[in-house]
Amino acid sequence: MRAITTTTAVWVTALMAALPTAALAQKEPVRIGVIQPLTGSVAYNGTSDVNGSRLAVEERNRKGGVLGRMVELVIEDGQCKPANSVNAAEKLIQKDKVTVISGAFCSSSTMAVMPVVEKNRIPLVTGVSSMAGLTERGNRWFFRATETDALLAQSFAKILVNNLKLKTIAYIGVNDDWGRGGVSEFSKQIEALGGKTVLKEYFDHGTTDFYTLLTRLRANQPDGIFVAAETQDGSLLVKQLKELGVQSKVFGVGSWATNDFVKLAGAAAEGIYAAVPYAATMDTPRNRGFVSVYQSKHSEFPGKYAAAGYNAINIIMDAIERAGSTDAEKIRDALAKTDYEGPNGHFRFDPKGQAYGFTVVLVQLKAGVPQVVSSTTVETH
Amino acid sequence: MELFAQFLANGLVSGTFYALSALGLTLVFGLMRLVNFAHGDLYMVGGLLGWAATSQLGLGFFSALALVVLMLAAAGWLVDRFCISRLRDQGEEPGILFTIGLSIFLANTALLVVGSTPHQVPAPVPNEPLLLGPVVVTKARLFAVAVCAAAITLAHLMIQKTRLGKAMRATFQDPLAARLAGINTERIYASTFALGAALAGTAGMLLGSIYVAQATIGGLVSLKAFVVVILGGMGSFAGAILGGLLLGVAESLWGGYVSTGTVDIIGFLLVILILLVRPYGLFSRRAERA
Repeated sequence: MRAITTTTAVWVTALMAALPTAALAQKEPVRIGVIQPLTGSVAYNGTSDVNGSRLAVEERNRKGGVLGRMVELVIEDGQCKPANSVNAAEKLIQKDKVTVISGAFCSSSTMAVMPVVEKNRIPLVTGVSSMAGLTERGNRWFFRATETDALLAQSFAKILVNNLKLKTIAYIGVNDDWGRGGVSEFSKQIEALGGKTVLKEYFDHGTTDFYTLLTRLRANQPDGIFVAAETQDGSLLVKQLKELGVQSKVFGVGSWATNDFVKLAGAAAEGIYAAVPYAATMDTPRNRGFVSVYQSKHSEFPGKYAAAGYNAINIIMDAIERAGSTDAEKIRDALAKTDYEGPNGHFRFDPKGQAYGFTVVLVQLKAGVPQVVSSTTVETH
Repeated sequence: MELFAQFLANGLVSGTFYALSALGLTLVFGLMRLVNFAHGDLYMVGGLLGWAATSQLGLGFFSALALVVLMLAAAGWLVDRFCISRLRDQGEEPGILFTIGLSIFLANTALLVVGSTPHQVPAPVPNEPLLLGPVVVTKARLFAVAVCAAAITLAHLMIQKTRLGKAMRATFQDPLAARLAGINTERIYASTFALGAALAGTAGMLLGSIYVAQATIGGLVSLKAFVVVILGGMGSFAGAILGGLLLGVAESLWGGYVSTGTVDIIGFLLVILILLVRPYGLFSRRAERA
C-alpha cells in the first residue's frame, strides 16, 4: 500500500508541474480552460497545442492581459477520449469556473464536449477538430478556427490531379473519425476530377508495423499515396514505404511539415507533399514573429498544432477584450464577430461558426524543410 | 503467391518481436505468480534509456544495450526487494494493484522527464532493403530478429543450464520444497523479476531501433504481450515464442487478405478460441505445478 501512496503523490506533483504558474495579479485572473490529449498516442500533438496556447497567453499578459486582468490557462488532459474530455469540461466549468474553453483535439472528443458547453452556456473554440459535421450541428456556442477535411480537400484536389499528374491513388488513413473523414473527402474530390482509387485502407493509432498494409499497396502500384496520419504513425509509415521500395508520390494531411516528423522519418521524408493549414516557412510578417518567439522558447519550429493552439487562444482573448466583460453571452457574440490576423492568415467566422479567410498551403519536404509549393485561401462554401 | 510469401515473412518478423516482448511477462507470471501490468512500461523505459544512451551519451548500440540490461535488471531487483517482497503470499490483488501503480508511475515519470516526443534508437546496421526472392526485408529487421533469437536462446540456456535457473525452476514447482532444499527463494524471486525487467528492456531498445521509443506506448505493448502469453499458456517459455509467432502471422494474413483496419480483432479472436478449447494455453505447464 505504501507504494501506491507514493505513486499518488508523484501523480499529484506531476499534475501540479503541468499547470501553468499562476499569474501574480491583484485582480482575479480571467480563466480559459484548455482540453488537449497530454497522454496517449496523440499526446505529442496535444502538447504542441498547449505550448502554442501558453505562448499566446504569455504574450498577452506581458502587454497587460485582457480587461486589465491577467489570463490564466487551466489545462486538462482529455486523452482524445470522449468520456475523459467530457469529465475535463465538467471540471473546468464547475470547479475552475473558466470563461471559455479551447479544445478538445480529436473530433469525437470535441463532439462529446459540445452539448456540455451548450448546456452550461460556455463558448468552445477548437483549433484542431476538423470533422466537417461539427459546425453543422446548430450549436451556437461552438467555433472552429481551422479548416475542415472537406475544405482542405476542395482546395487541393485540383493541384494534386493537375499539377502532380496523379492518375491512380491509394488512400491510407488512421482508423478514427478524422482519418476516415480525410480519406473520404479527398477520394471524393479527386475521383470527381478523374483520379482512380486503387486501395482504401485504415490502421489503428499506435500501429508500428505497416509492412502488411504496404505489401498490399505495393501490389497495386499507385501513382500517388494519400495518407491521413499524425507524426508518430506517419513517420513510421513513410519510412517503411521506402524500405519496401515503393516509389509513388506521397502526400498527406496531419502534422507532417514538422521537425519531429523529419527527424523520425529521416531520409524517407524527402520529397513528401503535405496539405497543411500551417507551415513554419509561411512568409507573413505575423508568422516570422511567431516563429522566432516560439523557436527561442522551445528550440524547434512551431508545427501545425502549436499554431492551432496559439490562434485559438488569441481568438478567445480578443473576443473577451471586445466583449468588455467575462459574460458568456457577450463573449459568444464577440467571437462571432472575430476578425483576427494570425500567423497563417486572416480568420473570420461564418454564421455556423466555421472559420474562413485563412491560408492553407501545400508543402514539399526538401532537405528536411517544408517548402511552400502552392497556397490558397479557404472560403466557405 | 509472392504476396503470401511477403505476408508470411512480415508476420514471422513481427511475431519474433512479439515473442521477445512477451517473454519477460510469462517468466514473471510463471515463477512468481505475479501478473505484471507494468511490463509494457518496463519495455518503454528500456527503449527510452537506449535512446538516451546512444543518441545523448554517444555509446555504441551494444554497449548501450548492455547498459540498459544492467540498469533494468538492477531496477527490477530493487523493486522486488523493496516492494514486491512485502506483497508476497497475500493473494493476487495486492500484486495486481502494485504493478498497475508502477505502470502509471513509470509512464508519467517518463512523460515528465522525456516528454511525449517519439524517439528513435539508431540501428547499428543500415536500414537498406534486402531482396530474398520476391520477399523484401531490411538489414535492420534481420539484425533485430537475430538479436531477438539470441536473447531468447540466452534466457532459455540460463533457465535450463545454470544453477540459478535450476533454483528458479525448483521454486516454480514448489516454493516450500525449494526452501527446504536450501534455496534462498527471496533471492530467486528478485532475480526472476530482474530477468523479466531486463528482457522487457532489451525488447524495448531493440524495437526502438525498428519502430520508435515513446513514453506512452507501454499500454499497447502490455496488451499484445498479454495476448501472446494467454495464447501460449501463462508461464510457458516455449508457449510465449509460439504464441508470438502465431499472433504475428495471424495478424499479417488477416491484414493482408481481410483488412488492416480490423487487425487487432484477430488477436482477441484467437484468445477467445484458445480459452474455449485449451483454457490453459497451447503450452501450459500447469500439470508440473501440482
